[in-house]
Amino acid sequence: MQFKDQMDFIKQHMKRNKLRVATTILAAMMGCAFLIILASVGFGMQKTVTDQVLDNQIVTEIEVAGREDGESITDKEVEAMNQLAHVKAVTDRTSPNAEAVAKIGDRSGFAATSTVDMEQEQKAGLKLAEGKIPASADEVIVGYHFAQNLLTEEEQKKADEGEEVSGGFAGSLIGQTFQLELTPYEGEKEAATWEFTVSGIKEEPGKDWITDNTLLIDDSWAPVFQEELALEESGRQVLVYADDLQNVSTITQTLKDDGYYVYSVTEELGSMNMFFTALKAGLIVVGTVAVLIASIGIFNTMTMAVTERTREIGVMKAIGAKPKLIQKLFLMESAAIGIIGTVLAILVSYGVSMLANWIVPKIIMTSLGEDGEGMGDVNILISVIPWQLVLISAVISIGVAMVSGWRPARKATQIDVIQALRQEL
Amino acid sequence: MIEIQDLRHTFAIGKKEHERKVPVLKGVTLDVQKGEIVAILGKSGSGKSTLLHILAGFMTPESGSVLVNKKETAKMKEEEKADFRLANFGFIFQNFQLMPGLTAFENVELPLKIKGETVKKRQAKVRGLLEKVGLQEVADHYPNELSGGQQQRVSIARALVTDPPILLADEPTGSLDSETEQDILMLIQSLNQSLGLTFVIITHDDEVANVAHRQYRLHDGELVKGEKRHAI
Repeated sequence: MQFKDQMDFIKQHMKRNKLRVATTILAAMMGCAFLIILASVGFGMQKTVTDQVLDNQIVTEIEVAGREDGESITDKEVEAMNQLAHVKAVTDRTSPNAEAVAKIGDRSGFAATSTVDMEQEQKAGLKLAEGKIPASADEVIVGYHFAQNLLTEEEQKKADEGEEVSGGFAGSLIGQTFQLELTPYEGEKEAATWEFTVSGIKEEPGKDWITDNTLLIDDSWAPVFQEELALEESGRQVLVYADDLQNVSTITQTLKDDGYYVYSVTEELGSMNMFFTALKAGLIVVGTVAVLIASIGIFNTMTMAVTERTREIGVMKAIGAKPKLIQKLFLMESAAIGIIGTVLAILVSYGVSMLANWIVPKIIMTSLGEDGEGMGDVNILISVIPWQLVLISAVISIGVAMVSGWRPARKATQIDVIQALRQEL
Repeated sequence: MIEIQDLRHTFAIGKKEHERKVPVLKGVTLDVQKGEIVAILGKSGSGKSTLLHILAGFMTPESGSVLVNKKETAKMKEEEKADFRLANFGFIFQNFQLMPGLTAFENVELPLKIKGETVKKRQAKVRGLLEKVGLQEVADHYPNELSGGQQQRVSIARALVTDPPILLADEPTGSLDSETEQDILMLIQSLNQSLGLTFVIITHDDEVANVAHRQYRLHDGELVKGEKRHAI
């Protein structure tokens, strides 16, 4: 029998039992839609949390926290990291072990000081809101909120008392010279002061709640500070930047193998993904129970179809239809129920998912206050349906439909022709 | 064409513990030549349907052999039997056994669909056959819209559609009135004469058996030869 004829045959039978087939399809659709929607909540939660993680940091950044053997990271080792494949840049920031205060006229403020390799910083993606990258060692880059943080003594007092102080240094800092006073946290050395000129101001941080007071000074100053202030070991932050997110895990692994303590976004996402994979698998298993319940309906429908058509099956066998063809026709019919149910389920699931993503955040916003204060700029996704979920659900749903049609189809092949032909019309 | 040798079959009757063996066929031997109409007469329960079912491969005999075109159907697997039936037999049943959801045309077309013939071939063949049995006007009618005689003609057209050399008829006029019965019997005779088809007709009706070249009577599980009615 040609495939088109087989399809016509199935269509004809399904039309003859419209109501029963429709209710079975409805049950199959509900089971599959439940599976998709339930699992989509897992995917939605994962996306919300992952987006949060990725939003809060540079995804290609790998932090090298130190050596596993306790030794300090040497300049040579930093250079070796820079030579690794797919490494775009390695920033090596050293913070002097001293309190750093910047002063311009009667204003002063805390400066998160680091000595850096300006070229590597630039390669790593340092972006300026104003000015340019320093051309000489006496020029520096300051954070976006550096000027705002320079307060008079009076303003500082108010700020210490918890009052809101607005203002800071008025006008542009570019080209301004300021004094940097470094007071060692430990040791007997007195504070020392150096003069620097602001060459560039860093871009505004992505998040409203981040205050950027950094002060980036050329790394040729590091030994000067060390010597003049007789500083203890300074804090060193080595950050390796991959050329692409997909290479982060490889570089992370290489650095780990080389004996470094490493942290990258893939590490965080890795453990997070493991949790969400388990969660999603759990949700799919629970959802599959609904599909299995729906499969009972398919089993019943197909069993009834075989019983009702016993005489017809007998005639078909008598006139030369092979048992395999009979079996195939019934399997195709249960598969058709599964396929139609699954297609409808996918459409319904996308609809429900969109509705949930529209309504639920609104409800959360309302419960948190009129303007949703406390939510920050978190973008909540209740449900996400990736194509993989659609594929998994379709395979489960259609597979279960076919398995439930298997037994009735087998029964159809075993129908005795003589008994079938004796049945009353 | 058909060689039946010492065919024996027994039915088990009753529940297992009180099971009783009833022999239905006690060594039936029969040869059917190509182009012959053979009628097997017998009372109800005489075993004539069992003989036809064994011949068609619907059931396997306890012993003996059935050779159709030199091939033994009893030894075939189910899938092979189906192919063999499709190629060698056409069936005419007492209750017509038409598919209620299919039109007369579609019913006749069904064996060709099973065979996997193309739409073009099927349509030409079915149209020609419906014309031959005089049903071209009611090709789009469903079985419940046809008279008994018309349904039996559809059934005959369906039996002929795959060009089988042998037609097996089980009480072909059993559900028809005497006038329609004559029509069907004439059609059988005309098909036998024009196409040289071989018929094995199972009946309890002497009138029906009279169209046969040879008659046999199944009595108490044994086949008794009747008189030869016509030359082939």
